[in-house]
Amino acid sequence: MCEHHFDHGMVLDSSLRGGKGSMNKTLKNPLAYVLFTVPTLLMYLLFFLYPLLTSLRYGFTQWNGISHAQFNGLDNFVTALHDKYFWIAVKNNIYFILFSVFIQIPFILALALLISRVKRLSGFYKTTVFLPSILSTAVVGVLWSFVYHPEAGLLNKLLEAIGLSSWKHVWLADEATAFLSVLVTNAWQWIGFYVVLVLAAIFAIPKDILEAAEIDGAIGWKQAWAITVPLIRPVLIVIVLLSITGAMKALDIVFVMTNGDPYGITEVMATYMYKKAYRIGEYGYANAIAILIFVFTVILTLIFRFLTRKSEEVQYG
Amino acid sequence: MRHPLWSSVKHLVLMFYLLITLYPLIWVLNSSFKQNKEIIDSPWGLPQNFTFANYINAWTGSKVSTYFVNSLYISTLSAVATILLATATAYAITRMKFPKWSKVVSGVLLLALLIPAGSLLVPLYILLRQIHAYNTPFALILPYVTFGLPLTVFVVSAFLKSIPGELEEAGVMDGLSAFGLLGRIVLPLTMPTLVTVFILNFLSNWNEFIMANLFLAKEKLRTLPVGMVAFYDQLNMNYGGLCAAIMFSVVPVVLIYSILQNQIIEGVTAGSVKG
Repeated sequence: MCEHHFDHGMVLDSSLRGGKGSMNKTLKNPLAYVLFTVPTLLMYLLFFLYPLLTSLRYGFTQWNGISHAQFNGLDNFVTALHDKYFWIAVKNNIYFILFSVFIQIPFILALALLISRVKRLSGFYKTTVFLPSILSTAVVGVLWSFVYHPEAGLLNKLLEAIGLSSWKHVWLADEATAFLSVLVTNAWQWIGFYVVLVLAAIFAIPKDILEAAEIDGAIGWKQAWAITVPLIRPVLIVIVLLSITGAMKALDIVFVMTNGDPYGITEVMATYMYKKAYRIGEYGYANAIAILIFVFTVILTLIFRFLTRKSEEVQYG
Repeated sequence: MRHPLWSSVKHLVLMFYLLITLYPLIWVLNSSFKQNKEIIDSPWGLPQNFTFANYINAWTGSKVSTYFVNSLYISTLSAVATILLATATAYAITRMKFPKWSKVVSGVLLLALLIPAGSLLVPLYILLRQIHAYNTPFALILPYVTFGLPLTVFVVSAFLKSIPGELEEAGVMDGLSAFGLLGRIVLPLTMPTLVTVFILNFLSNWNEFIMANLFLAKEKLRTLPVGMVAFYDQLNMNYGGLCAAIMFSVVPVVLIYSILQNQIIEGVTAGSVKG
């Protein structure tokens, strides 16, 4: 009996070890590993890392795209510092960030709280609100250019219909309204996306915390402000960061709607970079702007990280 | 719940918001069935003579058919290539026993989530000219495939880590090689995840504009977003045609979304939080 048991154990053990062994052998096949990883790495090396490195290099050269690139040190960056149009673009990126953070985010938060507090249809609200975020930014730009169209546009027609014809504008060509019109379009496209992120965080709050809060008398908006908002602080930080990087990257929407017009006053850094590279052929300068966009984004992100860390210290200290 | 009135106020506010949000789309849809004169004269009413003329004219006359086909095959091919390469790589780095190399591979790919694609536009443009891919469909397919890789590798890897190893052990017992394991056992299990990442890659390719505008100059190679912007630039008061053209780009996306809304929301938001 005892012997039999022992035997059985041996068989099982050795067969298991045999299985593991051939398993390891199969999964240590170097040829398979190379075939599975090298094509991906090759694509990535050619069309991502190589352009990235050349971008860094060309940023320090004078190059028109045809002749040989001449190393010129920091000249391109000095040029940027003295370039009036570059600073208009920087200023517009800052407006873009301020609008996204101080106007869009409170609105997003209110909308998400509202959706989280309805019993019925909250799934429907969530999916419908999200819809504009999956459309092409270029198509959204065209669609809204048509909404702002001076003769046929929805906005001017609406103002006409409610007797406010004097408020009509040539929205995208008027210096006072052009950039704001672009910002509203961008908000239209992305608000739902952020609402869904915030909603996911709200729904992840354990039920018993909210119930305990209700017993303590925190209900309705009081509960939202005192309990829910502090608990979803991490996701709020994420959406501020995404808003900052999104605003710094903004390209398509401005390109399609105003292309920097009128007189370059709606230019953002990315459209300016694009123009320098494509229309005028100042590749070196364009790459320097690309580097500056990246550096500014990193600096802003670090400042924001620092500020939020500070406020945490104040809260608990 | 405690105040039925308060609850209806919330629904009213939300419904009003949805109406404002969706109205531009509804208005364009409605206008796409109207004649130009009607769009100007009665912007609010339903079309008097319901007509598909705008769609037919846009499809044939304004070459939307060409743009649509270009968008469709470029987006599909690129998404399929991304999935094939990314799944093989994800399998290699999560299941195969080369831990040091796998760390290097995923570390290198992680870099892509930090660098905005916009800053690569200019050098990519130059590179594509050098390799004579400029003005061919490959000018889009190559970057689309590449830019889809990092996130796809990470999403598929995350899923593969959740599959228990026993199934593969059984496969090895049956004499399968590493290729057989991937093809016969891992791929079928991963299908639902692959469908999701395919759709996400497809949508981002379908919607991409800047590269399509910069890397292709020939009109017959244009994709839908590029065609749409060109259409708007030479509008000539053909508002109905514009609306129909917009719908050709929006409707496929909305249809896909209405079928796979939950997967799309999950995928898009997960990708952004990780990035």
